[in-house]
Formats: sequence, C-alpha cells, structure tokens
Amino acid sequence: MVKRTFPKAQVRLIITVFIFCLGVFIYLAPLYFKGSILDPNTGPFNWGLVATIFVGLCVLGFWYEFERTAKGAKEIVLVSMLGTISALSRLPFAAMLNFQPCTFFIICSGYVFGPVAGFMVASLTALISNFFLGHGPWTPYQMFTWGLVGITVGWLRKLNLSPKTGIIVLAAFGFFWGWLYGIIINVWFWTSFVFPLTLKTYLYTLANAIIWDATHALANALFIIIFGAKVINILERFKKRFSWDTQS
Amino acid sequence: MRLNFCYQDKGTLIHHLNPFVKLAWVSSTVLLALIFEHPLYLLLLFLVTLPVVIAAKGWPEWLSLLRFMFYLSLVIIIINSLVMYHGTHVLLEFTFEIPTLGQPKITLEAICFGLGMSLRLLAIVSAFTILNLTVHPDDMLLAALKLRLPYKSVLATSLSTRFMPALIDDLGRLTDVQRSRGLEMDKGKLGQKIRSRGAVLIPLLSNSLDRTVQIAEAMESRAFGAGKTRTYYKEIKLTPLGLTQVAAGFLPFIFGLFLRFKGYGGYRYYPSLQRINLNWLELTFMLILIVLLLAILPLAWGSKWELKNWRRG
Repeated sequence: MVKRTFPKAQVRLIITVFIFCLGVFIYLAPLYFKGSILDPNTGPFNWGLVATIFVGLCVLGFWYEFERTAKGAKEIVLVSMLGTISALSRLPFAAMLNFQPCTFFIICSGYVFGPVAGFMVASLTALISNFFLGHGPWTPYQMFTWGLVGITVGWLRKLNLSPKTGIIVLAAFGFFWGWLYGIIINVWFWTSFVFPLTLKTYLYTLANAIIWDATHALANALFIIIFGAKVINILERFKKRFSWDTQS
Repeated sequence: MRLNFCYQDKGTLIHHLNPFVKLAWVSSTVLLALIFEHPLYLLLLFLVTLPVVIAAKGWPEWLSLLRFMFYLSLVIIIINSLVMYHGTHVLLEFTFEIPTLGQPKITLEAICFGLGMSLRLLAIVSAFTILNLTVHPDDMLLAALKLRLPYKSVLATSLSTRFMPALIDDLGRLTDVQRSRGLEMDKGKLGQKIRSRGAVLIPLLSNSLDRTVQIAEAMESRAFGAGKTRTYYKEIKLTPLGLTQVAAGFLPFIFGLFLRFKGYGGYRYYPSLQRINLNWLELTFMLILIVLLLAILPLAWGSKWELKNWRRG
C-alpha cells in the first residue's frame, strides 16, 4: 500500500488558510451571529479574550516560522538590529499622536528581506519600544498588526517594480496600511470596553481614532517618499554583500 | 522629573520576587478583569494593585500613566454613552439626529457601563505597570526561554534590548557631529525637519548594519548554532518553593473562575441597572479573592531571589 503524504509546503499552506479563515471568522463573528451561542453580546464567550488569544497565537506561529527559516547568526542579528532601530525611532515620536517612522522601517525591511524578516522586525519594534512606553494588552495586537505590514510588503517584492515606481507604490501602500493598522488594532479596545459589539459601535470606535490613523498614514507616506529610496538602497547593498546565490 | 515606564531597579521586595510569580499574578489579575463584569469586582481588582504598586515604589510612574488612562476612560464613557440607547433612565435627549444613529440620548445605564469598563481598563493597565516596572527585560526573556518559546526569536529580542543603549549613544554622537557641521535640525517646516533628521538616520542605519556583521561573526566564531543543546550563563531556577509561589499567583484566577461558574461577578447594565445586593456569602467570597490577590505581598516578603548566576568554563 502506498502511503500518501502531503508535501510540507502544502501542509503549511493549509494551516495558513485555516488560520486566516479563523481570524476572519473571529473578526466578523460579533457582527453576524446575533442570538446564537457565538453572539458576543449575549453568549458565554468574552470576545476580547478570544481575539487576544488568537492574535497571541498568530504571533507565536510566526516566531516558530522564524525559528525554522533563520539559518545563521546573521539573520538573527540583522532582524534584531533593524527591530531596534525601528523601536528607537518610535520613542521620540511617542507624544506626536501616531506620527512616527517605525512603520516606514518595517516596510523597508519587509520589502528588502522578505515577509518573515518583515514580521520579525515588526514584532520586535512593538515588543522593544513597549519596554519603554509600557506593555499592555495592546502589545500582541501591535506585534500582530505591524507584523502584517511586514508580511504583506514582502509580497510586493514579487512584482519586480522599478525603483521609482517602487517608491510610489510603497508610499501608497504605507498610506493604506496607516488606516488598515487602525482598523485592526482598534479591535482590542472595541471588544474589551465597548458594548454592544455591533458595526455601529465599531465604526464609532474607529471614528474616535481617526486623527491617530490619519497622522499614521501621512507619516508612512511622507517618510517613504523622503527616505524610502536611500534606506532601501542601503538595505539592498547589505543584502548583496552578505548573501549569494549559486547558479547551475 | 522625567518619568519612564521601563524597569528601574529600586531594590524592593516586589523587584526581587521571581518573575514567574509576577507573571502568574499579573495574568491572573488581567484575566479576572476580563471575565468579571460587576463594577465592585472590577474596582476590587483595581484597588488590590495599589498596595503592590506602592510596595514596588512605582507610585510616580503609575500616577503619570493614570493620567493618560483617564483620557482613555473618558473615550470609553463617551463612545458607550453616544451609541447605546437601551438604557431606561434618559439623562439628556438631543433634538437633532445623527445619520444611522438617530436622535442621540444619553442614559444613566450607558454612562455606568462606560465607568465599569473604565475600571476594567484601569485594573488591566495597573497590573501591567507592575510587570513593566519590576521585571527586568532580561529576566522576562529568560522566563520566555523557560516557557519554551522559540529560541531564535527570544535571542533576537534579547539582542535588541542590548542594542538599544548602544544605538542611543550612536544617535547622540551622530547628532552632535551633524550639529557641529552646522546642521539645524529644528528649523524649517515639517518636511525640512524630517529631511534634516535623515542626516542622522542614514549614517545610523549604515553603522548599525556594519555592527550587525561584526556581532554575527563574533557569534559564529564562538560556534553559535553548532550544537543543539544550549547552555546559559544565567538561568531562572524554579525551586519547589518557587513553583508553589507561581501556583499561588494563579490561585486568584482559579478562584475567580469558580466564582463566575457559581454565578458571581456578572452584572446587568441594560435596560436598567441591576440592584447590587451583596449577601454574606458573596462578601466572604470577595474577601477571599482580596486575600488571594494580596498574597503576593507576603510571598514577596517571604521569598528569596531565585535567579542564580554562574559562569561556565
């Protein structure tokens, strides 16, 4: 009898799709399961806790992926150094609403070094800067949401954009993620402190953070337009110096 | 006075308590704050963090953080008041209409719900403040390793905490160098200010990447990654006493779960506020919960620091 086995890549894809569906389900459940056991307003589940556990597990999943893919000391130290620079850049801007350059650093890192490195730089940014600014239930959400920025920008690389077009696309991407970041991260506030969990209350929560998200989006686009090309060049040069491909 | 919310060794008993015990205690408090809805229970959870903050000498930082939390609490109350009209006691009714929301009215129940949730926020933030102020980042990472979190990611985090002071020094030096060359960083419009920051940012990035190579090569020359079994200079040891303390840290959560299972700790805000009738049994349960939560103080007093340092080779 032939034993059928799934290739590892397929298994990983299935797991990723499953996690994605679960995430979307958890995100939308408060809006669509009125009256059922899954209704967060009347059911037995604390949706804030459910969402936080899910986000924490996702972050942990990516950490395990980094454990698998990082082969040597250089990858670990590089991710760590970029995460520190990004975290450091957040500190002086802490009082300026959300006008800060760390999303810009995450975008540049993910664009040059790929999705896993992008996620790691992002999660370190949140983790390290919060040692100074204060940890809380928001930390896993920040790690997760910034991590998503790092992952998705890594996919943009496959488009093989010219340097000039690349900056324009990245600036638009940064602007878009400035808003999307707010849409995702406000879930922790909404699920934990607002009742009932409806689309209306969610939109109100988002409206309350509109200035934060607008300044975030603006800062991302501005930093990418001003420094994007230079920073990406430096990172590319570093990547070329310390990695090589064999051509058969 | 400059305040920061990171670890400062103030040498208190709370600082010297095993980080696992603090992690267990803070997790208990945060989880309890999430599962309880009753304002009295939430107030209790918030209040029990105060003696611990005082014992950790974190009062100034805590007060400063509380000012920010006051703003967030206000947001919670405003959002809940504006979107929730199910309350029966109308305090204020506006004459105009908001699209999709209709005629706004503010009810007593919505304000009370907002206040209750503000207490939840305060309890959570207050508990986390204790963790921030009393657990050294290195100990947090050692604890993460002990919990079998992915090694390379924990190492990357640990390296980051090491790089931070070095990069702050570099940043200061580069700023001085550029200023001595006549660069005025604080002049001009926003775009100009950001551009002049680039004169510091770009060299900082280049220098840091060079440093990355040096550190990675230093690690590789010490055979990093050669063996599967790792050894550590520092390790957090959990003795039987330590394990008992960790269990004691989780005890309030277990007791809280029992209370929720028995039907205590819930509260109905809508359509009208539930009357608060505490019988002797519930009062006794609340007292037990207070005792369990405050047990961290005698635990800290009675415990000895279990972090053992030893050098190999």
